[in-house]
Amino acid sequence: MSVIEVSHLTKYYGKARGIIDVSFNVEEGEIYGFIGPNGAGKSTTIRLFLSLIYPSSGQAKIFGKDCIQFGPEIRQEIGYLPSEVFYYEGMKVLDLLKYSASFYKKDSTERMLDLADTMELDLKRRIDDLSYGNKKKVAIVQGLLHQPKLIILDEPTSGLDPLMQKKFFNLIKEENQRGATVFFSSHILSEVQRICNRVAIIKEGSIINIQDIKSLQKDNYKKIRVTAKNLEANSFSLPGINNLQQENNTLNFFYKGDLNMILKAISAYDILDLSIEEPTLEEIFMHYYE
Amino acid sequence: MNIFLREVKANFKSLLIWSGIVILFVVVGFAKFTAYEGNPEMLAILDAMPPAVISAMNLTAFNLTTVTGFYGIMISYFALMISIAAAMWGSDIISKEERDKTVEFALTLPVTRAQLLTAKIAAATLNCVLLLLVTWGATLVGAAPYQKDEKFYTFVALGTLTLFIVEMVFLAVGIFLGAAMKRYKRAGSMAVSILLGTFFLSIFTGLSKNLDFLKYFTPFKYFNPVELLNESKLDIGFTLLSVALIAVFLVGAYLTYQRRDLYI
Amino acid sequence: MNIYKKELAMKFKSVASWVNPIFILMLAFMSLYPSFSAEASLLDEALANMPPELLAAFGMTGIDLSTVAGYVGFIFLFVQICLAIQASNYGFGLVSIEERELTADFLLAKPVSRTQIMTGKLLAALTALTITNLAVWASTLLVINLFNAGNEYQTGSFIILLLSILPFQLFFLAVGLLISLLVKRVRSVTPLSMALAFGMYLLVAFGGMLGKDSLELISPFRHFDSNYILSHSAFETPLVVINIAVSVLALVGSYILYKRRNIRSAN
Repeated sequence: MSVIEVSHLTKYYGKARGIIDVSFNVEEGEIYGFIGPNGAGKSTTIRLFLSLIYPSSGQAKIFGKDCIQFGPEIRQEIGYLPSEVFYYEGMKVLDLLKYSASFYKKDSTERMLDLADTMELDLKRRIDDLSYGNKKKVAIVQGLLHQPKLIILDEPTSGLDPLMQKKFFNLIKEENQRGATVFFSSHILSEVQRICNRVAIIKEGSIINIQDIKSLQKDNYKKIRVTAKNLEANSFSLPGINNLQQENNTLNFFYKGDLNMILKAISAYDILDLSIEEPTLEEIFMHYYE
Repeated sequence: MNIFLREVKANFKSLLIWSGIVILFVVVGFAKFTAYEGNPEMLAILDAMPPAVISAMNLTAFNLTTVTGFYGIMISYFALMISIAAAMWGSDIISKEERDKTVEFALTLPVTRAQLLTAKIAAATLNCVLLLLVTWGATLVGAAPYQKDEKFYTFVALGTLTLFIVEMVFLAVGIFLGAAMKRYKRAGSMAVSILLGTFFLSIFTGLSKNLDFLKYFTPFKYFNPVELLNESKLDIGFTLLSVALIAVFLVGAYLTYQRRDLYI
Repeated sequence: MNIYKKELAMKFKSVASWVNPIFILMLAFMSLYPSFSAEASLLDEALANMPPELLAAFGMTGIDLSTVAGYVGFIFLFVQICLAIQASNYGFGLVSIEERELTADFLLAKPVSRTQIMTGKLLAALTALTITNLAVWASTLLVINLFNAGNEYQTGSFIILLLSILPFQLFFLAVGLLISLLVKRVRSVTPLSMALAFGMYLLVAFGGMLGKDSLELISPFRHFDSNYILSHSAFETPLVVINIAVSVLALVGSYILYKRRNIRSAN
């Protein structure tokens, strides 16, 4: 069953582009990565899910229900962690968390205390006085305390120290094992690589690729580096070669296709050094953004 | 200079709105004035009024059938509008950095806080002067179709000058509040309290002769339009008091703003 | 219900900060009444000899400052200015504060509809205004009792005057709210409420001085003219209908606009 179904979702802010014709599905139980640089449309997509903004055209469904029509009902089972956290001035952490819990039908007190404990959050302090990282912790607790079926994370780790990041990822993994679906938006690839099953890449408002994390790395491109005498870049004009760069006697490129073909081309030279590697997600990403 | 320009630009819309209000006010006012203009019956009635009535009703001693007298009535309303605008601009131009969470940006620029404050004060002052010019211009244009006596232009010019002084007092108060208040929201509400307080006080003083001493506390009472018309000069005492107030508030703003901690 | 409670709790301080000055204002003005009423009887004699057309032109019909009703009517205008600013503040800030303080991302991600949010907030604001309202009732009746200088007055007409506070404030609340939703972003509430409240006041004050015109019919200061209410012990029904109609339309419009509103993100 698909937890999120997005079809032809488009959003313009006046004339400015938000996202254009975005379609994808997120299946139940997966951790779905959503990657793109700043301004690609990640937050726009998430804000459409939460009906903070309304689509220009197209539709998004969560739990099989239209996001706008059934907004309140859907949000009963969503936990949302915004990229920037701001809370009501003058409230104490505990007041805010209780206020947050009061919106959900179940009693979340126990889970709330539990999470606050895990995140080492001081419940008695005023939110105004907290540091950015600590506000972020408040956001994590308020987003997870009702044990939502869908967790939406918008660049969640900014402001958290590495130790807290690790705790946070463990928490998300636990929630996932419990059955929660996670939608994880980020521009930090190593994070996504670490935790996600599938990933959608968004660029200038459009989805340009959706793939399994593993297949993205394995089945596609190889990163090849050849050092040989009298190398001629022209002789490597095979289809499937990308990003060809020559530095004296060394060629760097990405290759996607029949490995025998490329090996033949390489073996025509007197090879001094050769390496064939899996590209990192970072490199794949750079490729998509060229 | 760049900060100054940015502030002028940022406040331009607000200036347009206030100018619109002033112009609307002038248009409505002159539309009403048409009924009075040159109507000798009205003059006779007014002359017959006992002075006690005139002062109690705050009608003052103006001859409403002439443009000059009409401006004498208008000037109190102008003072109120312009002062509100000035106090709002003053308190807002500094506190808005904290409200819009841009204070970290503004204060990490390679400028001293004094420079920042100076640029902001200059921008707010320019805004105030422009609004005043709009008021002046609108009045002259509105009065153009009517017959004016020899005193009119001097009176309007002097009136505009008193408006400017009162406006600057409230601007300085606003700027001081914006610079000194720890919580940016306080600056706005304090500015409102002071405006309301001084406005009510100006009416309160008019109720009884015994309360005359209270007029020192309300700039709205500093310059009496009647005296202005009759004597064609500003009251020196109150002019000095206003200048002193402006100086005190501005110096206070510089001192407190340099020292205070800023939060986001 | 949780939204209502939280919103109300956040408004308590603000209510206190309006109630106290209003009380002091009334006390200060009313304390002058005994000495003023003695002087004013002379003045009223003079006024009685004026032609009625002139009195009408200067908005002085029905004002008799020597009587308790006339004097309170005069003071009440200033109370109205305060009440107008307070209600406009609540109106302009009602939902715009969530966007300005960037807490909309928190509140709107909760399982509540926009209608529920707006209703909770509106009810909280109305409760806060009602508390203010009750305090004004108490202050008015108290200062009248303390400083009536032995002159006669009708409590009934004051009750009618006090009843006007609710629709009077509702107007500013609703119109402020509507304006806040018509613009892209409300950066600062106070200048807007000052402009709205004083704008409406000036329309009427100016009209009173130089003759009436139809423009002032949009102003609640005209709809609930304290002098008229106190001298007639009644409302001017057509104006009250205008007032309530504008308020209701503004509220309905606000609900529609808020439901459709795109909430901008923090960055």
